[in-house]
Amino acid sequence: MYKLTIMFFSFILFSVFSSLNAGVNFTGKTVTIVVPFKEGGGTSRFTRFMQPFLTKYVPGKPVIKIMHIPGGGAIKGSNYFQKNQKPDGTYLFGCSTSVIVNVAVGNPLVEYNLSSYKPVILLPQNTHWFTRSDLADQPHDISKLQQMKLVLYALKTPASADLFHIWIFDKLGIKGAKPIPGLSSSGGYQAFLRGEIHISSHGAANYIKRVKPEIEKGKVVDLMTLGIVGSDGSVTRNPLAPNAPTFPEMYQKVNNKKLSGEDLESFYSIAAAWSQASKSLLLPEGTPDEIVNVWRNAATKMVNDPDFKSKAKKALGPFPLIIGEEAGPIIKKASVFSQNTKKQLNTVLKKHKFTFRLQ
Amino acid sequence: MEQFISSLVQLFEFTHLLYLFGGTLLGLTVGILPGLGGTSGLALVLPFVFNLQPSYALAMMIGILAPTTTSDTFPAVLMGIPGTAGSQATVMDGFPLSKAGEAARALSAAFFSSLLGGIFGAFILSISIYYAIPIIMAFGFGEQFLLIILALLMVGALTGDNFIKGITACFLGLIIGSIGTAPITGDPRFTFNTLYLIEGVPLVVVGMGLFAIPEIVGLLDSKGAIAKSLNIEKGWFQGIKDVLNNWFIVIRCSTIGCIVGALPGLGGTVVDWIAYSHLRQTTNDTSMFGKGDIRGVIAPESANNAKEGGALIPTLLFGIPGSGNKVLLLGGFVLIGIEPGLDMVTTNLDLTYLMIWSLAIANILGAGICILFANHISKLTLVRYYILAPVMIVLIFFATFNYNRDWIDFIGLLTFGMIGITFKAYGWSRPALLIGFFLSTKVELLSYQTYAVYGLTFIHRPVSIILIILCLSTILLLLRQKFGESKNSNSIKNKNHQIYFIFLLLVLPIMMSVVIYDLDYRANIYPITLCFVTIILLSIIFLLKYFESNNSLFMKNILLRYIGLNIFEESSGYNNQFVYFSGLIIYLFMNYIFGFPIASVMFINIFIVMHNKKDFKLSIMISIILLSILWLLSSLLTLQFPNGLIGEIIDMPWWLGGELN
Repeated sequence: MYKLTIMFFSFILFSVFSSLNAGVNFTGKTVTIVVPFKEGGGTSRFTRFMQPFLTKYVPGKPVIKIMHIPGGGAIKGSNYFQKNQKPDGTYLFGCSTSVIVNVAVGNPLVEYNLSSYKPVILLPQNTHWFTRSDLADQPHDISKLQQMKLVLYALKTPASADLFHIWIFDKLGIKGAKPIPGLSSSGGYQAFLRGEIHISSHGAANYIKRVKPEIEKGKVVDLMTLGIVGSDGSVTRNPLAPNAPTFPEMYQKVNNKKLSGEDLESFYSIAAAWSQASKSLLLPEGTPDEIVNVWRNAATKMVNDPDFKSKAKKALGPFPLIIGEEAGPIIKKASVFSQNTKKQLNTVLKKHKFTFRLQ
Repeated sequence: MEQFISSLVQLFEFTHLLYLFGGTLLGLTVGILPGLGGTSGLALVLPFVFNLQPSYALAMMIGILAPTTTSDTFPAVLMGIPGTAGSQATVMDGFPLSKAGEAARALSAAFFSSLLGGIFGAFILSISIYYAIPIIMAFGFGEQFLLIILALLMVGALTGDNFIKGITACFLGLIIGSIGTAPITGDPRFTFNTLYLIEGVPLVVVGMGLFAIPEIVGLLDSKGAIAKSLNIEKGWFQGIKDVLNNWFIVIRCSTIGCIVGALPGLGGTVVDWIAYSHLRQTTNDTSMFGKGDIRGVIAPESANNAKEGGALIPTLLFGIPGSGNKVLLLGGFVLIGIEPGLDMVTTNLDLTYLMIWSLAIANILGAGICILFANHISKLTLVRYYILAPVMIVLIFFATFNYNRDWIDFIGLLTFGMIGITFKAYGWSRPALLIGFFLSTKVELLSYQTYAVYGLTFIHRPVSIILIILCLSTILLLLRQKFGESKNSNSIKNKNHQIYFIFLLLVLPIMMSVVIYDLDYRANIYPITLCFVTIILLSIIFLLKYFESNNSLFMKNILLRYIGLNIFEESSGYNNQFVYFSGLIIYLFMNYIFGFPIASVMFINIFIVMHNKKDFKLSIMISIILLSILWLLSSLLTLQFPNGLIGEIIDMPWWLGGELN
């Protein structure tokens, strides 16, 4: 209580002070970005890539430190952030899909209040699905796969974002689809090349490096991509695989109706968690709008930096970063699944005899 | 081929060479310090590699692994103590040579044959990489599963004196490895609802606990044997000439080293003995062996360096570690985002070649440094144990903490240290435990995956049939093979303690079965099966011990006699080691009260001054160096040290464990 009162007063003082001072300045301050993963992981690379640019564009050029707190399936570091957060703009959170999914599935160990965090910048990703060329003549045709008794694919664990694969294949009417548990996407891809599983998937970087050469050899064909969701809800094709239909296109072809209603709602949630907010930089809840805007402005300037532009494509992938107002609803959508969405996901989990359930 | 050359060019870039050189120096150092080896060396750097580019990290890690079996010759020849397990056979002829005043000849012969052996190993590795793609493609889930079973069988059976105990150690490792989130269902398994165990026990904690802590405690117990005088002036060229005259031995023993290294489990511990006995069998005049025959130095030294190249084959192609240090190498791969398997020979081929080149160059560097600076390096064998030990303990604690940034890791470290000391004393295989632990998740997943894809038909595939035959023949051979010399169990004391230890070990599988009994069957069938088998194995060992200590008549049965061989171990000094171990517990408490940096400084000073008051200047100097390193690292890595109780009361600076800002 004592701490809270102090925090409250210092917060008031700070906001008065900063409004008097007209403009927020971080001169001489140290900014900490908490990353709930090990050094070397995707989120760590994402934050470390931005670190020098943010220092350059945040007023006062603060020293930015990245603090890695790995372990506990990313929950340990996330809970640490929640407990130690300061809403003064010197404390940020490097977030990723798995941090979001922990909240979305209702993991009881989660103590962080993700949906009220204030996003600075989001880095989208996109999933590519592909199959062997003898199982699909062209990207749009999955009729062979639908008829097969057994269509095997990799699934890390049902408690991760991989659970969305189950939903996707279920909605496409691939009845024989059966997940092979415990296979990461790279392990799954090796098994796919050996001919042991039928459908495999990868993110953009691995798709270009590993899958594209096999497609050019004619051994592998694109099946579809998740699709890129715009701020107006429209879904466009992935520029890396322009021939491959998006999931909504494929859904429409298979089911003879547009993706809509509860299915569309689930798709938006899944796409938000899995694709749009793949990696993100967030400010804690209760950060004053003024400070949030300072960070968002810095992010905007960073994205327009020619040096950033030239390096970002290789380091972060081809998808445009999402900054500012429109990022807020995405994090909410990604971390708070509606009852319908949860019900849909639990139904497919039950169908495949998994004991794991969304809470 | 183009990549083969380009990766050499890449390696000769300044930064790469720097990391390779740094790794080589560290490898040489841990090789010389008795008891430490590549496993401890890698465990120390593992927490730092994820800050590096993959190619730097690989150059450094290979740099550490390659020369440990070169520099371990120093203590072997000069003191008659093997620096690592790989130079036990070198002592046989190296030490007599040194006593006869020919230390320099023995050392130079050893270094030069190490160099040739190491390059030979790298050469064989690069050839096998060239043919690897079809082999990897032929190894589906089922084949990989069988390959791991074969590896575990061999590791368990060959790394200890008694093979039932070895296999049991493997199973215990598998059980410990199954703690954490169940990979199939996502259920937390044996985690007691804590976050700490949700990703399982950290690899570095297990590796450091099992290998580094027992060796340091053992070093304290032995009071550090010190070489009295070092006379290594003359005879350097004679040694090199000896190697050139015996070039055929070098080639034969390097080949043996490569093959044995590639077989999982045989690895580090026995390859020198195999080469040595091969030499004895193929030589006409054996009269000088054991009394100072230079060939007895050349054979094991060329073999134990060649084995590194061989051991990297299963490590890179299948992710199956052949020995303890390869487990940590694979741990490093995970950190820098490299996946063993097909990628190593396709998209990451440049990195594979870089490792091969690093291996070759590190061997040259290592041998070169050893020859050129022999006089200086050999002085490392003179460092007093009571100065070395506390510094190493602090180092180990730091490395452990930095890996996971969790205070609880210290407790895990000491727990596994305890297990390691007991395992070492009672002849239970530590490599088997570590490799079992590492491969556990893979075994579980592969068994599900194999079943999901093939059902039981996987055993009809040709490669599977070969592997099954290999597994069965391994078991058969082991049942017949008498490995090492039988210990006379009448002379062994504290048999009762060893029996109590079995009861202690039984607690783990029994408790685990009870705790996870209620989970979904896909989450608990694997660990419960493991527990069941382990309980049976432990019961067999108990019965063997019980009957042997009661001098029962059952020893007439040949089969039982074979499996009962060496079931007891000499365990001199076990109680002493406990006393030293309690020092570590005190250090842990100091951490709890004062926080890591202050506790470490206090610990080092108290330890050194307690042993010799005159060394206080040295201990103060070490403290200053330590503190500045900690200060530097905390700001470089944004590392918050555990701050202890005192930090709750007094506001401490960030680098002593206080709050940031």
